[in-house]
Amino acid sequence: MPDHALRVTDLRCQIAGKEILKGIDLTVDRGKIHALMGPNGSGKSTLAFAITGHPQYEVTGGSVELDGEDMLALPPDKRARAGLFLSFQYPAAIPGVKVANFLHAARQAERPGDLPPAKFRALLVEKMEQLGIDPSFMGRYLNDGFSGGEKKRIEMLQLAVLAPKYAILDETDSGLDIDALKDVGSSIAALRASEEGRNTGFLIITHYPRILSYVVPDVVHVMIDGRIVKTGGHDLAHRIEREGYDKLREESAVVA
Amino acid sequence: MPSPAPVVAGRDDTTQGLYDRVAGLGLSPFSIEQRTRALDRFVSLRSGREKPGRFWRVDFESIAPEAGAIDLSAGNVRVENHDPAVFVCDLATAARESPELFARAFGTTGIAATKFGSLAAAFAQCGVFVHVRADHACDDPVVIRYTAPAGAAIFPWTVVLAERGARVTIVERLEGGAGAFLCGASEVVTEERADVHFAAFQQVDDGARIIWSRAARPGPEARMSWASAELGGELAASELSVSIEAPGAEANLTAIFFPRGSQHVDVVSTVEHRAGDATSETIVKTAARDRGQARFLGNIRIAPHAQGSDARLRDDALLLSPTAHVDSVPALEIGANVVKAYHGATVGAIDAEQIFYMESRGLERAAAERMIALGFFEPAIERFPTAALRDEIRTSLAAKLT
Repeated sequence: MPDHALRVTDLRCQIAGKEILKGIDLTVDRGKIHALMGPNGSGKSTLAFAITGHPQYEVTGGSVELDGEDMLALPPDKRARAGLFLSFQYPAAIPGVKVANFLHAARQAERPGDLPPAKFRALLVEKMEQLGIDPSFMGRYLNDGFSGGEKKRIEMLQLAVLAPKYAILDETDSGLDIDALKDVGSSIAALRASEEGRNTGFLIITHYPRILSYVVPDVVHVMIDGRIVKTGGHDLAHRIEREGYDKLREESAVVA
Repeated sequence: MPSPAPVVAGRDDTTQGLYDRVAGLGLSPFSIEQRTRALDRFVSLRSGREKPGRFWRVDFESIAPEAGAIDLSAGNVRVENHDPAVFVCDLATAARESPELFARAFGTTGIAATKFGSLAAAFAQCGVFVHVRADHACDDPVVIRYTAPAGAAIFPWTVVLAERGARVTIVERLEGGAGAFLCGASEVVTEERADVHFAAFQQVDDGARIIWSRAARPGPEARMSWASAELGGELAASELSVSIEAPGAEANLTAIFFPRGSQHVDVVSTVEHRAGDATSETIVKTAARDRGQARFLGNIRIAPHAQGSDARLRDDALLLSPTAHVDSVPALEIGANVVKAYHGATVGAIDAEQIFYMESRGLERAAAERMIALGFFEPAIERFPTAALRDEIRTSLAAKLT
């Protein structure tokens, strides 16, 4: 039976010789929303980069499988084409490359020939309208001179246009005001409501629980010091909101 | 312009051959005496270009055409002009039939005072004079195409005179076969409030050499835009200059070059702010790969009395191979004290984070690099006139990236 999940098993990763991930086990099912919470420096972003194949992150053990396919053996572009998407905390600016052209190239790379240019443009216009993005952004250079909020919206636009099997959102909420947070929440809801994105599995990485008021997770994981120390339901996020991470940190120290 | 250095060089066999050719030339647009003096200057003047050394292989001082290769046939130029109100003719016709108009522009920009400008002047015969009368707006670009047959040496000369309030776009296309040598000049003189957009698209064979001088004198409140894409040639050297002598003028200079293989490109831009309250913006984008070499020297000179000048110079270089080499040398001389002058430069490889970002969207590494490199040129490409030319430049750059 095919395995419809993004399955991370005993994943270990180091940067410049320092071990950051110390054996991560995590399974994100299609159509489910997982939240990964944890204090700064706990390794959340490292997990996102290790899964998506950033060359500076050296995986030293464990496995990552997407619907049963070994991701660690693939370069980053093939992982993306297999259905993996990362919304960057700090998206790179690409001067001279227009948003619309880039998105068309990305869609073509991931689903060759599925939409003729006119239909792609119609899709783009529709998604931009849904996300409240001004049409002038189509002709602007990707992330070049964009505000923090604009960059995050363009990440959400890419998520909507590419409709991946699994989406990792790395602190998409950081630096956003409440209105922008609501927009992120509604863009995820819109994707889940669409035919293409109905079965997308989400891993929402966040430092603060507040985004989870707009996107209700099915599962909440807490990561501290390179390990998942607790997994629970939505109420775990509320507990963190009340108590912070210190108590969980103490509990995990006792367990360790 | 400084007065030419005294002639000290003797005539060796190579240069004697050139003098012999000059003696047999026609009298227009230059007299034999003027041509001989121009050749004297070519022989005696230094180029001011980089000397061969650790990086540079080319010795500009030893460059000279072979006398036997010199081709002065008029068939080397073709002009497309769809506007009957724009007057276009060859140089001899201009000198004969419109001497007063022609003299207002021809030879007035100081091009013939430089080493290679002098060489172009010595053999100038094939060329085009474009005259746009006052307040006439020409919407279709005038396209001038110079073509050097393989192994031939040609010396084209373009002269543009735009009268008060006139507007015109010129596209100069430069082509040459293997072993060709092109040494040309383009001069633009504009009067009050004229607007001239002059684009040069150089795609000579990778085994050809091309050296071109471009100079403009915009009138008061006139706009002069140079845009140059140097994409071909084993050696391509060009000068792009604007001398602002009247207040309120605007100068835009754009250069794109991309040496690959063993190509060598050497570009000098110069904006002379000799009158105040004028603006200039120079944007240069260079990429280099394989053993390609490029040097860019960007001069901005603001004279002491040119108060209120606003000069900007931006040059960026992208190194696509560890063996490629780009030197970028800005040179700002600011004599006035109420000015704005900005200079920014970068040299570097493609950012790994940009590549990963694109890969994470499913683009293969090579496709990502190509897209980033093309994007790098885009702010300069957008300053070229006509959508068709911009697309052609993009296509040529994309071909150099594969």
